[in-house]
Amino acid sequence: MNPPALPDRPAIIGMLLSAAAAAVPVSLLWDFSWEATVGVDRVWGAPHVATYLAVALAALAAIALVLRNPGREIGAWIVLWGALAFVTAFAFDRWWQAGYGLAAGIWHPPQLVKAVAFFAIVCGAWWRPSPRSAGPVLAMIATVTLASNFANLQHGAAFFQIACATYPMVLVAVAVAGGGRFPAARAALVCMALQAALVWLLPLVKGSPEGGPVYHPRTTLLPPPFPLLLVAPALALDCMMRARRHGWMAAGEGGLAFFVVFAAAQWPFASFLLSPAADHWFFTGGGRHWPFFMPLTAEMHTSFWPGTPFDLKNSALALALACASARLGLWLGAWLRPSEK
Amino acid sequence: MNTLRVILIVLLLARHATAHVGSPNVFFDGKAGPHAVRIVIRPPLALPGLAQVDVRTDGGVSVSVRPVSLVSGVDAAPPAVNAPPVAGDAQLFSASVWLLHRGNYAMHITLDGPGGSGEVRVPVQAAALTKPEMPPSLGLLLGALGVILFAGAVAIAGLAATARRVRVMGIAAVLLATAVGSGAMRWRKMDADFRNNALSKPLPIEARVRTEGERHFLTLEPAGATSSWHTLVTDHGKLIHLFLIEESSGRVFAHLHPVRRERRLFEGVLPPLPPGGYALYGEVTHENGASDTLTGRVTLPAPIGTPTQADWNMKNEAWCQSPPALLGNSAAPGALDADDSWHVGTASPTRSAALMGGGRVVLLTPGEFVANRETSLRFAVLSPIGEAATLQTYMGMAGHCVLRRSDGSVFTHLHPNGSISMAAQQLISPRENSKPAPATLSHEITFPYAFPQPGEYRVWVQVRTPRGVLTGAFDVRVK
Repeated sequence: MNPPALPDRPAIIGMLLSAAAAAVPVSLLWDFSWEATVGVDRVWGAPHVATYLAVALAALAAIALVLRNPGREIGAWIVLWGALAFVTAFAFDRWWQAGYGLAAGIWHPPQLVKAVAFFAIVCGAWWRPSPRSAGPVLAMIATVTLASNFANLQHGAAFFQIACATYPMVLVAVAVAGGGRFPAARAALVCMALQAALVWLLPLVKGSPEGGPVYHPRTTLLPPPFPLLLVAPALALDCMMRARRHGWMAAGEGGLAFFVVFAAAQWPFASFLLSPAADHWFFTGGGRHWPFFMPLTAEMHTSFWPGTPFDLKNSALALALACASARLGLWLGAWLRPSEK
Repeated sequence: MNTLRVILIVLLLARHATAHVGSPNVFFDGKAGPHAVRIVIRPPLALPGLAQVDVRTDGGVSVSVRPVSLVSGVDAAPPAVNAPPVAGDAQLFSASVWLLHRGNYAMHITLDGPGGSGEVRVPVQAAALTKPEMPPSLGLLLGALGVILFAGAVAIAGLAATARRVRVMGIAAVLLATAVGSGAMRWRKMDADFRNNALSKPLPIEARVRTEGERHFLTLEPAGATSSWHTLVTDHGKLIHLFLIEESSGRVFAHLHPVRRERRLFEGVLPPLPPGGYALYGEVTHENGASDTLTGRVTLPAPIGTPTQADWNMKNEAWCQSPPALLGNSAAPGALDADDSWHVGTASPTRSAALMGGGRVVLLTPGEFVANRETSLRFAVLSPIGEAATLQTYMGMAGHCVLRRSDGSVFTHLHPNGSISMAAQQLISPRENSKPAPATLSHEITFPYAFPQPGEYRVWVQVRTPRGVLTGAFDVRVK
């Protein structure tokens, strides 16, 4: 009798790499929740350890892939580069925190290197020799732009401009590079699922502030903001980009589609999230969940905060950003298409 | 993720400095209800960071510590942290508490035990205390990793290119170099902002001498355009305590109390000090409990005659013991303040120093002084015939101790109850505790302290006897 066939090792390693990539934004959102609830940043705090493990697992999987096929596994090389960049950023950051703390600003150089490292890991896991799930990449964008994702900011121009500059690039690339039916919508669903899981699970974990001032006492970890409804524009892009189009015309149509569908879905959804109807474990809305350190008046809990108005000029800028982002997405998608490599 | 914090940090970026130079640790000797306590608080070097709170008291009590921001108050303070006894020392209790933001805090320390319970509040300032300097080994390591990352990224770009490989690698190298360059520029800008706005440093003052008739006047103005002194409260009866130390030899020491003429002007009559260059250290407390140290320098001309000094007739002493108060501006000073004092003479390299007009002050602390080791600077004051001297309170205190490292990198002013501003402590304490305890007038006085770094220090100790204010000066070596 023959022994049972060995599983296809690269497939398992590839899955491990995808899981590690997904764990990166998940651990970072957990860290945000920790910082917004407990407030103190320990080098060996649980969310930090989760990030280190995710990076280590990604690096190990990438090494295994590179050893098998060094010439083809570009994505794995990028993951390895990201892991080394993370180690560099970690050493740099330890020194930075001991000297400057947060007194010199939040987006300091080691923090920027870390962000680049995380994007390298999630993008490398996405690109590989042929494209895999871009869900972790979308989740990574949601993580670094988290400060603009509070529902109270979602009627302002800045929120739409940031979203339009970032998401279309990934969604268009996925739609163009393809792989199965509705690839962009599937990636958006994975991104939303990763975030939603944290929205539902983190409030089950005990936690309370250890530093002050405490403007919003908490007993459990803060749920991150509810995920954006990216699946709606992603579906539209899947339908439009199926023909594998290219050039500025296609970018303009893709950008317009993202802008219109995203705004049409997210605008009323933001109003819903601030309403009492969303005050529920599922949406964790209703203006009741805040980082402990944010001093807010009662009216600010359920109102849209004043910012750059979403007027004609700012909408035009958001649309232009969406088109430029979609153009980059077309270029990236063409590069990612397995047949052309 | 940390970005949200910016909102709060910006809110708390009120102007802020520290009531010391190079000596950030806080020492307090006093009582918490029925319990005698000695408290040492070591604030973190960078924020957010851990402040270490050590409480020495009777054994068998439970101790808890709660940092309360003076901006957001007790309602927004995090819960108290239990301070367990340190292993091997049942009378020493220690806890670490997080300070997230720069600013002024009241450390609420509560003791509960068989003798009853009590609370004491100690003012603490949190600010960035060190200038970051990268060790060469770390710089080398990061540089090497940076080179590998740069080369790796260019190589990966070449591997990913489907055509025109060299051109793609060239573009990647240019883009990367631009990114590294912008990162370096950002670092430089953030570092400059940090050093100018976040790093704790004394506030500079401009000091001048004005001569009018037979008197010299010393005037002080803040060097920064934004500084103002209109929110000052009195600390043992004075809006400012100003110390002058002659720079070349340190032989001359003066403790003066100019009056505030305007919101940005202090003025006082100069005592007859020898001419020369002097370092100035001023201490002021604001109505919110924040204390500032002011530093500057001045060149004094030769004195003309001896100005009159207001009489000291106990009325002044009652004033010094009153709670901190906001004062209006004063008219031009006509005479030296009753509590102004000065001393000219070499410091004693031994543990016994002569006092002007006879008598001695003896430094009783046994053993050598070691940097960062908690100690008590204990002095005995002896009359000219070698008996225990009769001491009176000097501005509400049994004594004042001022110490300065030979290079000026450390300066601090201690009282028998520690290094804190008494006014600041009274402002953060409940009313019933706000009266300063009457100083115990033995001929021995003790100051709690730990020298922050090794080196040569000059220590001046000031007491009041029926013959007036006397100053003893010592040179102390700290290992």
